[in-house]
Amino acid sequence: MDWSVIGYLGLEGLVVGSIYALTALGLALVYGLLRVLHVAHAGVYAVGAYCGWIAFDLSHSLALALAAGAGGAVVLGVFLDAWFYRPLAGKPPLIPLIGSIGLFLAAGDLLRIVFGPYQHSLPAMNATPVVTIAGVGITATQVFVLAGTAVLLLAVYWVSARTRLGLAWRSIAQDREIAAAMGIDIPRHTALAFALASALAGVAGVMVGVYYNQIAPTMGNEPAYKTLAIVVLGGLGNVWGTVAAGLLLGVVESVSGAFAGNYFPPQAVAFLALILVLLFRPQGLFGR
Amino acid sequence: MSGLEVHGLSKAFGGLRAVAGVSLTAEPGRVLGLFGPNGAGKTTVFNLIAGALRPDKGRVLLDGHDITRLPAYRRAQRGLARTFQVVKPLNELTVMDNVMVPLAHQRLRRLLPLHRYRTPAREQRARALLEQVGLLEQADAPAGALPLGMKKRLEVARALALEPKVLLLDEPLAGLSLQDARLVLDVVHAAREAAAVVLIEHNVRLAMAACDRAVVMEAGAVIAAGVPDEVKRDPKVITAYLGKEGADA
Amino acid sequence: MYYLTLATLLLIYATLALSLNLITGLAGQVTLGHAAFFGIGAYVLAFLIAHGVDFWLALAAAGAAAGATGLALGAISLRLREDFLAIATIAINFVVVALFLYLPFFGGAFGMSDIAGPFGALGTLLSTAVLFLLALALHESVRASDLGLALIALRESEQAAEALGVNVKRFKVTAFSLGTAMAGVAGGLYAAYVGVIHPHDFGFPLSVTLLAMVAIGGMGTLWGPVLGAVVLGGFAQAFAFIHNYQAVLFGLLLALVMRYRPQGLLGRRA
Repeated sequence: MDWSVIGYLGLEGLVVGSIYALTALGLALVYGLLRVLHVAHAGVYAVGAYCGWIAFDLSHSLALALAAGAGGAVVLGVFLDAWFYRPLAGKPPLIPLIGSIGLFLAAGDLLRIVFGPYQHSLPAMNATPVVTIAGVGITATQVFVLAGTAVLLLAVYWVSARTRLGLAWRSIAQDREIAAAMGIDIPRHTALAFALASALAGVAGVMVGVYYNQIAPTMGNEPAYKTLAIVVLGGLGNVWGTVAAGLLLGVVESVSGAFAGNYFPPQAVAFLALILVLLFRPQGLFGR
Repeated sequence: MSGLEVHGLSKAFGGLRAVAGVSLTAEPGRVLGLFGPNGAGKTTVFNLIAGALRPDKGRVLLDGHDITRLPAYRRAQRGLARTFQVVKPLNELTVMDNVMVPLAHQRLRRLLPLHRYRTPAREQRARALLEQVGLLEQADAPAGALPLGMKKRLEVARALALEPKVLLLDEPLAGLSLQDARLVLDVVHAAREAAAVVLIEHNVRLAMAACDRAVVMEAGAVIAAGVPDEVKRDPKVITAYLGKEGADA
Repeated sequence: MYYLTLATLLLIYATLALSLNLITGLAGQVTLGHAAFFGIGAYVLAFLIAHGVDFWLALAAAGAAAGATGLALGAISLRLREDFLAIATIAINFVVVALFLYLPFFGGAFGMSDIAGPFGALGTLLSTAVLFLLALALHESVRASDLGLALIALRESEQAAEALGVNVKRFKVTAFSLGTAMAGVAGGLYAAYVGVIHPHDFGFPLSVTLLAMVAIGGMGTLWGPVLGAVVLGGFAQAFAFIHNYQAVLFGLLLALVMRYRPQGLLGRRA
């Protein structure tokens, strides 16, 4: 057993898993508050990536690209909350779900129409090896993604666990009526949640663009499906369970992809895992 | 013995003992009141009796038959009817159709029950029930559009449609105007002839007057049982209610 | 000739939409993987025909196979809460398509071809029309029956329905089996109509389209799903020039209808 191969796969898996975790985290946060699956979140992710790409193209600054990615995503996400989700608040969840799928499809296609169906590159960083640990080479781009994710997750943890905002979110997720009765401004807090979720997705999109040096209008498709699976594995609404599930899936995909070869289409691992888990734990890996 | 018998019912959620060894009996022709402060476990007892929850320990008997293992819908088909604390009207169906549901669901044998649900016999029965609760005029209105008082009356009508041997009413008077409350109490009074009625009610004064016997719960256990007048004066009961309602009653 | 085939396709879509309506519209069970059962019907028929089985027998088997799988889905649905179920159905759609892709006897990525029904274009149109009318009749019969009342009751409130004597579990499974069996028969006819089938014809995008047909037309109503099928099925076929903008228009249509008229075109009340 060549441990450096395992190490390499594990590292790749963690990187991919980090992107999953950042994107799925936002989805879980929104679900916890609204009890609606915000499928369009993957569209926000793609739009964020494109905003970052444009910013980089104009400024050649990675920092500006990240900011633009987050910013563009936040604008779209908050708009969707105000225009689409909030007015549909009392309706059966199937309604916003279907509409959300429509929004996602429209967003992806709009990106194709405006920017063309081909890929663009985002050459913000080279995958130069930076350090080697236990025979496994780690590149600059990997450090970028892993470090960036760690920082962001830490920030989210701090907001969620240590601030009044986080407390308000957790109260609303637990019991909406009581939270409102205690004077929590639910629409405002929901908008803030959308803002945070979208910012994370936008950054994740830019990270993907940098890591693979590639932006394409279809880039939201896989995350759309996979984040749904991840959010369910994480227990639907359990934010940290979702993060764990995202990281886990990244690693599992990486390892199984190497050994099982190209037998499965990419989404299949996530969904197969999901079905297996649900058979034994209908509440997801980390659900209650 | 006919009616309802409950022996040693217990249910814990995680570490919390919601119901601890509750026993009670309810006979046809009598109204049993189930009282106690919020969180005492009254609705949980109802959920256990009705089959919405499985008990950790204990038995439930209906007319002498052990129904503890039966799923909720079978208990309903056998005549154990219940209403809900937070009303659950079938919103998109009309008032009439709401009452039709229990009428249509006495033991369906066919794999695909495709015969029409609206039969003249059922419609007649439904109308009679609606008239009894004063909702005949609203028969074709969607249940979701009704004001609360009418929704509560609809709950009672639906329960009565099961031709119950045992009728569990969970706070049927809560949120009702005095007029509506009187109407419901009249219906309950009429229903008791054929059924054993168990009533959870918060309005202690109004309810105690309607009951033949009373059981008081606190923190999952029964702390007093007997004739309402005696139970009212029981010092444990008065303390359980923190003096406020006990002093009123 | 073109209109003949278009009409046949629309009738198939309308039948499919009605079958989905039984599950999602009447019984209120979210399923985002309905295309899988359409596909099971198509593949089973194609496989049996290729092995010399009589067309009508194969069609019945197609429906039965889809219905049996739907029964399994129904059983699964009993264990999963609503949103878990929705995503599980997406997962099932993907897994079924993967099976079509990787099981050797299904032809892999090339799919199956030379599927011939017993008649030509006109005959196919007539048999799909008959199927559609049967579906319509079954749908209406269900809606006015004890079964339909049970489904709507459990859709509105499972707890209340259970307390009123409705065997919620049994009826959920019945809804899934009936809806998927109908989809399977539609799938069999589709295979004969189109002659060539590929795994990705039955993927998640089709499931979304079907759900959109039902939602935009009016969930739970009789003519809503039919209208939805005609509008969405027809619009792409009839306006070839919008092909380049199909996805964005479809997506926007979905979003706008859900946002501004969530009960659908023929649905009552908002």
